[in-house]
Parts: sequence; structure tokens; C-alpha cells
Amino acid sequence: MIQIENLTKQYGAVRAIDNLTMTVEPGSIFGFLGPNGAGKTTTLRILTGLAKPTSGSAQVAGVNLSTDARNLPRHIGFLPEEPVFYPWMTPREFLDYIGRLHGLSISDRAARVKELLELVNLTDAGKRRIGGFSRGMRQRLGLAAALVHRPEVLLLDEPVSALDPAGRKDVLELIEQLSGQCTILMSTHILADVERVCNMVGIITRGRLIVQSPREELLNRYVQPVFELDSDDVPSIQRWAELLKKQTWITSVNIDGNITRIVVNDLVQARKELLASAMSQQIVPRRYEEMRLSLEDVFLQLVEKESVQ
Amino acid sequence: MNFLNVFSKEMTEQWRTYRLLIVMAVMAVFGLASPLLAKLTPEILKSMPGLPPGLADAIPVPTIADAVSQYVKNMSQFGILLALLLSMGSVAQEKERGTATMMLTHPVSRLNFLLSKFFALAVTFLISLSMAALGCWYYTLLLFKAMPWDSFLAMNGLMLLAFLVYVAVSIFCSTLANSQGAAAGLAFGALVVIAGVGALPRIGEYFPGQLFNWGASLMLGTSTTAWPALWVSIGVIIVALLGAWQILNRQEL
Amino acid sequence: MSQIQEYLPFLIPVLIIQLVLMISALVDLIRRPSVRGPKWAWALVILFVNLIGPIIYFVMGRKEE
Repeated sequence: MIQIENLTKQYGAVRAIDNLTMTVEPGSIFGFLGPNGAGKTTTLRILTGLAKPTSGSAQVAGVNLSTDARNLPRHIGFLPEEPVFYPWMTPREFLDYIGRLHGLSISDRAARVKELLELVNLTDAGKRRIGGFSRGMRQRLGLAAALVHRPEVLLLDEPVSALDPAGRKDVLELIEQLSGQCTILMSTHILADVERVCNMVGIITRGRLIVQSPREELLNRYVQPVFELDSDDVPSIQRWAELLKKQTWITSVNIDGNITRIVVNDLVQARKELLASAMSQQIVPRRYEEMRLSLEDVFLQLVEKESVQ
Repeated sequence: MNFLNVFSKEMTEQWRTYRLLIVMAVMAVFGLASPLLAKLTPEILKSMPGLPPGLADAIPVPTIADAVSQYVKNMSQFGILLALLLSMGSVAQEKERGTATMMLTHPVSRLNFLLSKFFALAVTFLISLSMAALGCWYYTLLLFKAMPWDSFLAMNGLMLLAFLVYVAVSIFCSTLANSQGAAAGLAFGALVVIAGVGALPRIGEYFPGQLFNWGASLMLGTSTTAWPALWVSIGVIIVALLGAWQILNRQEL
Repeated sequence: MSQIQEYLPFLIPVLIIQLVLMISALVDLIRRPSVRGPKWAWALVILFVNLIGPIIYFVMGRKEE
């Protein structure tokens, strides 16, 4: 549904997107993940036709961006990071206006506006001026506006980042409801959101895609066993960490305050030796736990690895 | 494609933000005030204390010509100022707020985006100038006598064209600028240049300011025309709008 | 009395403009959830400053969201 090939975008000396190639399959909810400034927004701006790539090509819903960009708006719905509206309009009027722009008939518009206001829970505010709306209400209205013409592809730029937990839950649920109706590409720097709604994940950093795979596969491939040990005896722990780093069955040791995280590559050996080795250093653990890496750890690992290279 | 939809949104915006109402009222007041001022100024002068004897009789009795030139003067100053104030934010504000970005991801072409703004402002000034003309005509009728309506209409038509030059130039500045402040600076800069160069002897004949003189001469029965200024004005409007379109096409919003 | 009759034709257009501006400004003031400064002060400005009052309200009183 979305095909990006060797896309590059240069802003002066800065390369915002660097030879990006990726594919989003029809029907998927694709989580476009990366730290701030990784090139997510630039990519979305190119996919919506707002920005032109320096080189490379992209196809969205069968529309070639370099040759046919003017037909793009009929096929896509876009929710910018900070949706803005004309403050003097009401949500009803705004959605109706969008419907008119897309050539919907009067009756179709009336039905669609009603349906969408209900979907995003703005029916009661339907006749109020948008000028007085909260951030969360504007986000929901933006989502409704992106859906008016039933687009095949929905592009969402950080749809929940600026919202409070309740608002975030609402919008994520809405996105989940939309799966099956259209292909969704949503950018975010928050992993919990991706873990919750996306079935595909692409990780981008410094304008380059470093991983693209189904969420489950990503978790299975990168998730390694990890042990956490919690103790106040920092000097002993540091000594212990130096010792551990020499072991072949240890991937990494990370000390963060009182908590030591040890990623291992041989689970059997680690279970046998790790705690014993801590004891031999006279470390008294307050907590010792075996756990699995979360997507967040995978992400940090990948991004770190990329920046080292 | 979608010109009418965007245009009707622009007109609704002019109305809902009260811009149309304010400009209508202000222009109507200027229209009313012009003949009134023409009538009252000599009388105020006469009643001033310490006026040397004999001078009072030398002050001419105001005529319809004074009302007309007062009207033309007011419109050429405040009308143009209003045209500038109303138009200079049109594109820059939408870019600054981000609504331009929002709209351009829907089927709105950049040309229609600009043209709808120009025509909405044109209609705003058509209505407002009509109010001014009506006010001026009515008070002149009360204070002096009826004006010939055909040449009065022609004069107002020429003034509207002059306003539209400033509307188009301001839209151009507004497109060029990235913020409302910069747009205002550019638009006022353009106004100063047009006024300054327009005051020069030969070149001035091609400038929209001549349209006001032509209009006044229609009313006063002299035979000055300013066809070059008329064609140049129409040309400037078209070039400013096409230029704005080309600039907007190259901008990434 | 005769003076009023003499001036009436002059007053009518000014009165119409004043009334239209005043009423639209008051309606907007009432409908708007909040304005810059206290509402009652704006009501006074709109009601008692002729012609300019409502225009000042429209230009400065309304909040830009």
C-alpha cells in the first residue's frame, strides 16, 4: 500500500532522510518508530505530498508521488502532529467542508459527519466553536477529518504523544477500531503505543530504517533473557560488573543507580552461575529477577548499535 | 476544482470574523464623512476667532466638487490602508497557524487557495465600497445636490480596481513571507514604493494612483483619462497572483 | 422639534450603522465563552462609545485562539 524506495531528503547540510526503503502492506497498522528528529515527520510530509524528496521515489495507494501527486489527497487521510483548524468553525461545519472538498453529496455528508462525530465522541461539542477546544478534542477532530472521505491509507504523525493518559487511551482505541478499514502508518517515539496497536514495526534513526518486521517477530528475534539485580552496595557491584564483562555468556552489563541489568546469551549457564557469582562478591541482593526484554529495550539496543557504527 | 467551495469558506470567514462588517461600517462612515467635511470645513474656518477681516469672505463656498475630492482623498488613503490591513495576513496567517498545511492535504489546489482569497477580498471591498458610495451619494444629495450617478459609479469602479491592486500585491507579499509580521513589513514596503514611485512625474502615469485622479476628473467634468494606469493595474493584479501561485508551489508548507 | 426633523435625514444612516455594530458586538460578547478582560467592561464600551466602541471590541476584545 505504501512503497518507499531509496528516498532521500536533504535540508541544507542536514540529511533528514537517508536512502530510506520500506514497504507497508495493505491492512496493516504500521508503527513508525524512532527517537525525536529521526526523520519520521519528514517521511510523512513526503508521503502526504507536502514536501518533495531530494531523490528516490514513493507510491501511496497506487499514486506515484513524483508524477501524480495532485491525485493523492483523495486516497489518503493525514493527521499532523498538531492538527489545526479554523477557530471560527464548528466541528460539524469543518467536517462538512472537508466532505464538500472531497465531492461527497449532501446526504452522504450529513450521515458521515454524524457518524464521525460519534466515533470520536464529539457529538455534544458538535456545535461549539473549535477555537475553545482542548488539545485532546482537536486531536480527535483531526482524526475524524482525516477519515471523512474513507481514505485507503491513513497517515498519523505522533497521534497520541501530546495527550494525557485518558486522551491517549481514547485515540489508541479509535486507531485499533480502524484496523481492517484502511492501512495505517503511524509515527511515534513512544514504544508502549506501538506495542499496543501496531502489528508491523519499522525503526528509523538518523533518517535510516534499521529494522522492519512484524511486531511478534521483532520481539522474538531481539528479545534476550535479562536479569535484574537490585542492591545498595554500589562499589561491590561495580567490581562485580567488571568481572562479569569478561564472561563469554554475558552480552552486556548496565548499572543504573541501584539496579544492575545483565543481558545474557546463555540462559542455562546464567541461571546456574550468575547469582553465585554475585554472592562470591559479598553482594546482598534486595531483589534478583529473571525477565524478558521489552520492546523498549530492543529499541534502545538497536538505536544505540546504530549510533556506534 | 473546488474553487467555489473554498471561496464560500473564505466569504463565511470574512463574515464570521466580523471583518466584512467592520470594513463595511468604516467605509460607510468615511463615505458619509466626506461630503460633511467638505461642507463644514469652510464654516469652521469662518467661525475661527482672530480671522482677519475680509478673509472670511474670501473663503469659497463649498461645492459638489469639494465633496467629490474629499471622498476621493479619503478613499485613496483609508481604503488602501484597509485593503492592505485586510489582505496582508491572508496567506501568512494560514501558513503560520498550519491551516494551510491541513487544507493542502485535501483536494484544494494552491491556485484555488490563492484565488479564493483574492475573490473573497474583492467581494468584501465591492460591498464595502458600495456602502461608502451610498453614504457619500446620500449626504451629498442632502448637503449639495444629486450627483450624476453614471460617472459616480464609474469613479467608484476605478477606485475598486485600485484597491484590488493593493489586495493582490498584499496577497503576494503574504505568500512570500513566512510570518504575519514579515508579511506586514513587505506589504507596507510595497505600499511606500508604489506611492513614492507613483508620485514621480512620468512613471507615475502608469501607477494605480492615477485611477483616483481619473475618477475625480470624471465627476468634475475634466477630460483626464488614465488608460495606461488602468491596463497596468489589471496587469499588476494578474502578475501578482500568478507570481504568488508560483512561489506557493515552490514552498514546502 | 423642528431642528430634530431637519437633522433626521442626516442621523438615520449613522443610527443604522451604530445599531448594527452595537447589536452584533453585543450578541458576539454574550455568546463568547471568554474575552480579553471583563465582559461588563466591554459591554460598557460597546454601549456607550459610539461607532468606535463595537469596532474596538471586534478588533481587540475577542481572543485569538
